[in-house]
Amino acid sequence: MKEDGFEPRIIAFMCNWCAYGAADLAGVSRLSYPPNIRPVRVMCSATVSPHHILRALQDGADGVLVGG
Amino acid sequence: MDKCIACGTCAEKCPKKVDDFYNARLIKRKAIYVPYSQTVPLKYAIDKDNCIYFKNGKCRACEKFCEAGAINFDDQETEITLNVGSLIMAPGFKSFDPSRYDTYSYTALPNVVTSLEFERILSATGPFMGHLARPSDEKEPEKIAWFQCVGSRDMNRCDNGYCSSVCCMYAVKQTVVAREHSKVLLDCSIFFMDMRTHGKDFDRYYENAKKEGVKFIRSRVHSVEALPGTDDLLVRYVDDNGHLEKETFNMVVLSTGLEIDENVIELSKRLRIDLDQYHFTQSDSFHPVATSVPGIYACGAFTGPKDIPQSVMEASAAACAATERLAPARNTETRAVDTPQERDITRESSRIGVFVCNCGINIGGVVRVPEVAEFARTLPNVVYVEENLFTCSQDTQDKMTEVIREKGLNRVVVAACTPRTHEGLFQETLINAGLNKYLFEMANIRNHDSWVHADDPDAATEKAKDLVRMAVAKTDLLSPLQQTDLSITQSALVVGGGVSGMTAALSLAHQGYPVHLIEKSDSLGGNALTLYRAHKGEEVATFVKELVNELESEDLITIHENSTITGVDGFIGNFKSQVTNGVSKEEIAHGVAIFATGAKEYKPDEYLYGKHRAVVTHSEMDQLFQTNAPRLIEARNVAFIQCVGSRNEEHPYCSKVCCTHTVESALEVKRRNPDADIYVFYRDMRTYGTREDLYRKARAEGVLFVRYSKNGKPVVSADGDEVKIEFRDPILNRTLAVQADILCLATAIVSHRDHAMAQFFKVPMDADGWFLEAHQKLRPVDFANDGVFLCGMAHYPKPIDESIAQAQAAASRALTVLAMDTIRVGGIVCSIDAELCSGCLACINVCPYIAISFNDDKQVAEVNEALCKGCGACAATCPSEAPILMGFNNKELYAQIKGALAA
Repeated sequence: MKEDGFEPRIIAFMCNWCAYGAADLAGVSRLSYPPNIRPVRVMCSATVSPHHILRALQDGADGVLVGG
Repeated sequence: MDKCIACGTCAEKCPKKVDDFYNARLIKRKAIYVPYSQTVPLKYAIDKDNCIYFKNGKCRACEKFCEAGAINFDDQETEITLNVGSLIMAPGFKSFDPSRYDTYSYTALPNVVTSLEFERILSATGPFMGHLARPSDEKEPEKIAWFQCVGSRDMNRCDNGYCSSVCCMYAVKQTVVAREHSKVLLDCSIFFMDMRTHGKDFDRYYENAKKEGVKFIRSRVHSVEALPGTDDLLVRYVDDNGHLEKETFNMVVLSTGLEIDENVIELSKRLRIDLDQYHFTQSDSFHPVATSVPGIYACGAFTGPKDIPQSVMEASAAACAATERLAPARNTETRAVDTPQERDITRESSRIGVFVCNCGINIGGVVRVPEVAEFARTLPNVVYVEENLFTCSQDTQDKMTEVIREKGLNRVVVAACTPRTHEGLFQETLINAGLNKYLFEMANIRNHDSWVHADDPDAATEKAKDLVRMAVAKTDLLSPLQQTDLSITQSALVVGGGVSGMTAALSLAHQGYPVHLIEKSDSLGGNALTLYRAHKGEEVATFVKELVNELESEDLITIHENSTITGVDGFIGNFKSQVTNGVSKEEIAHGVAIFATGAKEYKPDEYLYGKHRAVVTHSEMDQLFQTNAPRLIEARNVAFIQCVGSRNEEHPYCSKVCCTHTVESALEVKRRNPDADIYVFYRDMRTYGTREDLYRKARAEGVLFVRYSKNGKPVVSADGDEVKIEFRDPILNRTLAVQADILCLATAIVSHRDHAMAQFFKVPMDADGWFLEAHQKLRPVDFANDGVFLCGMAHYPKPIDESIAQAQAAASRALTVLAMDTIRVGGIVCSIDAELCSGCLACINVCPYIAISFNDDKQVAEVNEALCKGCGACAATCPSEAPILMGFNNKELYAQIKGALAA
C-alpha cells in the first residue's frame, strides 16, 4: 500500500496464446505481483481496439495493459 | 495420476532436494517434481531413486499434504504389449560432456558452462529466472566467450568427426539473447573454425550479429585458466595472424555438440537397426527416414545432427513413411462419441450457474471461497451457486450435468483454474448436459489470483469476486455458437515435377489419395536430372529414373506435363485450379495443394563464366562426370571457387549445398585423376553434419583449401586454354597464383520468383524469393493459408535427401486434411455485419489468414469460416465495428470491463 493510499485499477487485455499463458505460468511458478490487475482474456492482442482501451478508461480504470 | 491437479504442494512439502537435471544441475529440485513447468500432462512424479520413503521407509510427507489424494506409493512399472504395423524412432540426442577437454577446465571452473547450461541461465524458468548471471557469484557477466566445436569436428579428443550442425547458429542466437538480457552492452566473442549458418535466414542473422558488435574470432582456443584472485577466466588462443593472444572473460560458454546416447545405441542393437560410425542411423540419401529394418523409421537427431525445423520436417516425413503401408487400416478402430441433443435456449431468459472451486487448498487456502460463493449469489441472473473441493473431479462433473438439467441452467461459470487447461473439460460437461459448449466462461481465481497473491488473502478475495463478476457479466450475454461440417475433396494438387514433387505425389498415392501433378516442362525430374551423385555416393540419375517409372505406373497419379496454373479458387478442402497445357484448359478440384516448384542454379557474370571454356558451374561439372569427359582425366589443375553469387548483397544467404558438392566433386576428380592438383577457394566450409567426413577426406587426399574474404575475392584471368587465379594467401599473407584447366564455380541456388503462384494460392514469399512457411521452426512445411503446403527448394536451397524428407513431410501434413471426410468450421470466428460494412477493405488487409474476401455484388467484406482463426484483428481494425468476433464480441468485452471496475 502506498502512502497516499492510491491503488490503481488496471485492466489487462491478455492474448490467450501468450500473455494469458504467461500469467498462468507466473501462477504455476508462484511468482508474486500486486493484485491490481483485472485480466480480460482475448483470442489475440490484435483484437483489442482503441475502443476497448477507451472504454476501460471511461469506466474508471487507471491504466490499461495489452499483453500479446 | 488422474487425481493430481498439479498444485505443487507435494513438492513444496517434500524435504528431499536433488539436482535439477532440466536446469542442467545448476539448481535443486525436490524428489517429487515435474520435470519442467510446461510438462504435458502436468502431473507430479516421485523420483524413486531419491525419495526418502523409498530409501528409508519413512516420510510420506507428500501423501499427508496432498488434498487430492493423488499420491500412490504402490504404483508399479507396467509392461504394455502393443501390436503395431510400424515404429518411429525419435530418441533425440545428448549434449556432449566436455569434461574430457581437460584444458577447458569445465569441471573445475564454475563459470565455464555448456551451451545447454547457458540456455537455462537465459530462460525465465531457469535458475536465475532469466537474469543473466554467472554460476560462481551470480554476478552479471559483462564479457563472455563462446567456444565452437566442443565435441564436434574432433577426432582427437573425442570420436565425433562430424559437425553438429546447430552450434554456430545457437551460439550466435545466445549472444543476441544474452545482450537483450544484459544491463550493459555485453561484450561477446565467438571463437570458431568455420561459421556454419547455412539455414534459411541464418546468414542474415549472423551478419546482423556482426554488425551489432559481436566479435567472431577464427581460432580454436587452446586453454582456459582461472585468473587468480577472481572468478574470471584467462583464455589463450592463436589469432588469424598466428599471434598468441591472452584475453580475460567473466564467463565461457562451451558450444557442445550433439551425440547419440549409449542407451539409444543399446536399443538400436536390440532392434537390429544399423548405425554408422557415429551411431546415427544408416540410411541412403533417397530414403532419409528409413532404417536398415523395414517398418522401422527414424527422425530427428538420430538420423544425423540437425536443428528444430529439420527435425520437425523429418518427424512429419517419418509419420508419412510409417503410415504408407498401413493406409488400409486407417480409421478402422475409430469410435464415434454419442452426444445428447442440444437444447434450444434462444427463447429462455438467462439462468446462470456458478461453481466456485477450492482446488484443495490452492484457492481455498488464500481466497475465502465461501465469501466468493455468497457474492456470486447476488449477481444478476445467477440462479445457482455451488462450492466444490475440486470442480474438475469426475463426481463433480457428473453432478454438474445433473444440476444443469435439474435447475434448468443455460449458462455456466466455473471459478477455478485456467481455461487454457480446463475449458475443454467443462465444455464437454456442458455438451453432456445438452448445452451449447460456448455458453461457458471461466474465472481464473487460481493461476491469476490465489497463487500470485498468497500473501494478501483480502486482496485476493476481492479480486476473486471481481473475476467472478466479470465472468458472470460476460456469460449473461453469451449466445450459442454453431459449428458445421464442410465436406472436402479428397485429392491433392502437386505443383512441380522434380524429386520433391514426385516424392510428395507418390507418398500421397501410396496413402490412397488421387494426385494431379503439374509440371511446366515436358519431362519429370527437375534439377536432379543434372546431378551426378548424392553426398553419400548414390547415383542420382538411376534414382530419378526409378522414381519417374514408379510415378508413371501409379494409377492414382495424373501427370500434367507442359502445364501451368492460370487461376485458383477456393480454400482448404475445396480448391478449384485452372490448368492449361497451351492447347486445352482443365479445372481440377482438389482438397490440398503442395508447392514443389524448386529453384535454379545461378549463372554468374564474373570469373570469366560464359567467356572461357575452362569455367563451369557445378551442374555443368556434373555433366562432365556423367559423360566421363576426357578433360577431367587430362586436367593437371582443377580449382573451385565457393560462394559465387551467394552470401553477397544480391543474394544475402548461404546456398547450403555448394560446399558439400565441391568436396564431393574434388574427391571424384581425385578418384579419376589422382595426379591432379585441386584448389578450393572458400569463405567458410559448410560441410555440416556427417558431410564433414567428405571435407576431412578431401584434405587427407591433398585437396588444398584456401580461404578468401568477401572483400578479397580471387581474380580470374584467361591464360590460353587455362585460367589464372590470383589470390591472397591468408597464412603467408602474400598474393599467389595458380593455373587451372577446369575452374568450377560453386554458384548460388536462386528462386524462380514465381509471383503468380504466390498470388493464386495467397502465400507469401520472402525477400530472397523463397516461399515463406507458416512458422520457420514449428510449421516448416505449412503455409499460413490452410491446406497449402511447401517442400523442396521452393522453400530454400537444400540437398536431395532433405528435399525428399520435406516432400514426405508435406505429404504427411496434407494427409491430416485428406484423411478427414469433413472439416469443422465455425465456433469462435468472425462474422461481418453487412449492414455496418462500408467496404473499405481494411479488414482484408489485416487478416493474417486470408479469410476475408470482398463480395463485389454486395460491396461488402465476407469471412470464410473455414479459414478464420478467430483472432479478431479485423474487428479491432474496422472503423465501423462491422466484424463481430463470436464469443468475444464488443458487448461481451464491455460487460467484462464494467464488471471489473464495478466495485
